[in-house]
Amino acid sequence: MKIVSIVGARPQFIKAAMVSRQLRARGLEECLLHTGQHYDFNMSEVFFRELDLPAPGYCLGVGSGRHGEQTAKMLSGIEDVLLSEKPDGVIVYGDTNTTLAGALAAVKLHVPVAHVEAGLRSGNRQMPEEINRIVADRCSDVLFCPTANATRNLTREGLEHVVAQGALIAVSDVPPDANAQPPVVINVGDVMLDIARQASQCMDMGPNGPAQALERYHVRSGQYVLATIHRAGNTDQSDRLRSIMDALAQIASAGPKVLFPAHPRTTEALEKLGFLAAPADRLSIVDPVSYMEMVALERHAGAILTDSGGVQKEAYFFGVPCVVARDETEWTELVEMGWNTLAGADTDRIVAAVKVALERCSDSRERPEFYGDGHAAERIAGVLAAVL
Amino acid sequence: MEDSNVSKILLIVGARPNFMKMAPLYFAMSQTEGMAPVIVHTGQHYDYIMSQAFFEDLDLPEPHHYLEVGSGTHAEQTARVMIEFEKVLIEERPDLIVVFGDVNSTVACSLTAKKLHIPVAHVEAGLRSFDETMPEEINRRVTDAISDLLFTPSADGDENLKSEGVNRGRVHRVGNIMIDSLVSILSHIAPEQEEATLQSQDLQRRNYVLVTLHRPSNVDVGDTLARILGYLNKLSASIPVVFPMHPRTKKNIERFGIDMTFNDAFRIVEPVRYREFITLQKNARFVLTDSGGIQEETTYLKLPCLTLRPNTERPITVAQGTNELVDMDSVEEESQRILSGTWKQGTIPLLWDGKTAGRIVEVITEFQAARC
Repeated sequence: MKIVSIVGARPQFIKAAMVSRQLRARGLEECLLHTGQHYDFNMSEVFFRELDLPAPGYCLGVGSGRHGEQTAKMLSGIEDVLLSEKPDGVIVYGDTNTTLAGALAAVKLHVPVAHVEAGLRSGNRQMPEEINRIVADRCSDVLFCPTANATRNLTREGLEHVVAQGALIAVSDVPPDANAQPPVVINVGDVMLDIARQASQCMDMGPNGPAQALERYHVRSGQYVLATIHRAGNTDQSDRLRSIMDALAQIASAGPKVLFPAHPRTTEALEKLGFLAAPADRLSIVDPVSYMEMVALERHAGAILTDSGGVQKEAYFFGVPCVVARDETEWTELVEMGWNTLAGADTDRIVAAVKVALERCSDSRERPEFYGDGHAAERIAGVLAAVL
Repeated sequence: MEDSNVSKILLIVGARPNFMKMAPLYFAMSQTEGMAPVIVHTGQHYDYIMSQAFFEDLDLPEPHHYLEVGSGTHAEQTARVMIEFEKVLIEERPDLIVVFGDVNSTVACSLTAKKLHIPVAHVEAGLRSFDETMPEEINRRVTDAISDLLFTPSADGDENLKSEGVNRGRVHRVGNIMIDSLVSILSHIAPEQEEATLQSQDLQRRNYVLVTLHRPSNVDVGDTLARILGYLNKLSASIPVVFPMHPRTKKNIERFGIDMTFNDAFRIVEPVRYREFITLQKNARFVLTDSGGIQEETTYLKLPCLTLRPNTERPITVAQGTNELVDMDSVEEESQRILSGTWKQGTIPLLWDGKTAGRIVEVITEFQAARC
């Protein structure tokens, strides 16, 4: 049995690496297709070696471009690969243009599609990611949900075959209803939790521990705010980006240092607005950090401000309070339970929310296992081996 | 200088079934103050009979944008439409785009527009065959999932969208816009013209069967195609059969080496223009088809229709209209039932009245007003 995994953005490589290892453990043949959506983002050979991910069998090199153009190039490139590889299934991850293009190209060729991180909805249909999620889910045969909430979103959209009523399935055996007429919805837990746990363990056992990363960025455990902003909704609208930067400057001037690893798109936008030439005091804007460094910086932050989906959850995994610089989130359970706070791009709301977050820095509240138990990739490989 | 009180609305067509859905809306919008419709033809169907002749028969102006994407695999075609249409969107900056039906251009253009934050209206929303192997089904599902305004032709469309969790505020049942075109063209065909068309094909009123087949499941498989043609030849012993054939199907016959020695009464003819086709349809004894639109037109005309497919996304034509689904095992018996005069009567579904375009314009007017 052969599977083509379709990836293009950095978080997708990391998720695919986890799943890939489990596919190999089950003796499934996998071919990695890299669309080239992110091409300038620390994705060297080292990146693949660090992740223990086989080098891509295909690189489409579509590069950046407008959404339509980029998606279009991916569609035809992916179709070519699928026509020559003739796989038994494809796996797509998350909510990028790569996800949409992979799912749409495959479904038209009658190749079964598995979507990892299915069922997430922010409710904001202006977000390109929301369109990508909706379309990928519509095209998928096996929908691997990270949470019970995600399975409920899909039930609302008319998908009837929900394995175990949306409860996390057992790792060891594939439930019989996973073989039901597709589309099938399965809560396998969140691959991001698998990754965060492993990375964390790895770091604790390694020679350097998190200290090296903290030293490198001149921050002290618990005494800094980690910020990441990369969504088009924030970077492409200068008033929003300005409000966020004003908030960061105010936070930094009030005490804790702010460390801001910036996505290339963000750097470009900041440059245009003149923030790079005259950075605020105690606000340190740095190049993107490696995944392991990011884990270290997240774990030791006093609070996190982000618009990333992954970082919102990682904050929770590591028990760090988090403020979300968006008007809504697809990780609704974290806002509902009060761990994360939505602050939009409103300077005052961000400053106030970060202040509160810092005060509950040593939050020892019980954290329910919304995201499973860190064995999502094993479940995914097990189900695919059985149903494809 | 552009008038900010005028809504610029792009109407997107790509293939033959789109044209007669777009035409009534184009005319209704042209007559509405504050609306400036712009026709974009993606060029999915590009030969004269399938495309330009339609525009002439429907009295449509030349498309304002013609994208020339041509044919190709699904992904290729979808991709080319996206690239070219994105340029049009950036140039035109419309307030809304309207897509029709379920072809690749429908899904390609709605995706491209949504990513540029331009609202999308889908005419003929909510149809489902529940057959995921049909590329059209994927196009329908995806387009409906992302469109802002969903115009359904009948109540089953509303139900389908509801069960997919679509917010009711997005759904507007306006009726079947293709019937608008049909009503209009029927009123424009003069009796002598009708007579001339029938004579040119040497046919008599109510005494022939009209056949249209184009789906891959019927015409791209050698054994299936041979069996269908064999049956039509047999049928022609009791009633003349006329089959305007797509060039692709003709090529298939040669490719599969199917024996073409047929009865004189089984006539394979060149594709005909829309006007003539409507005339042939209106006067047939019954129609055998695998097309979507013809199931609806025959229901409106109360003409018996046999649909050679295992399913239909237009179940109201079976439940309420004159249509039945058949396969090659049942087609003979069903044909005989029609010929023996025991076919169901059928009624015309609600809102299939030729006034759908006006209702769409009303909804869009309100939608635009709410956005300002």
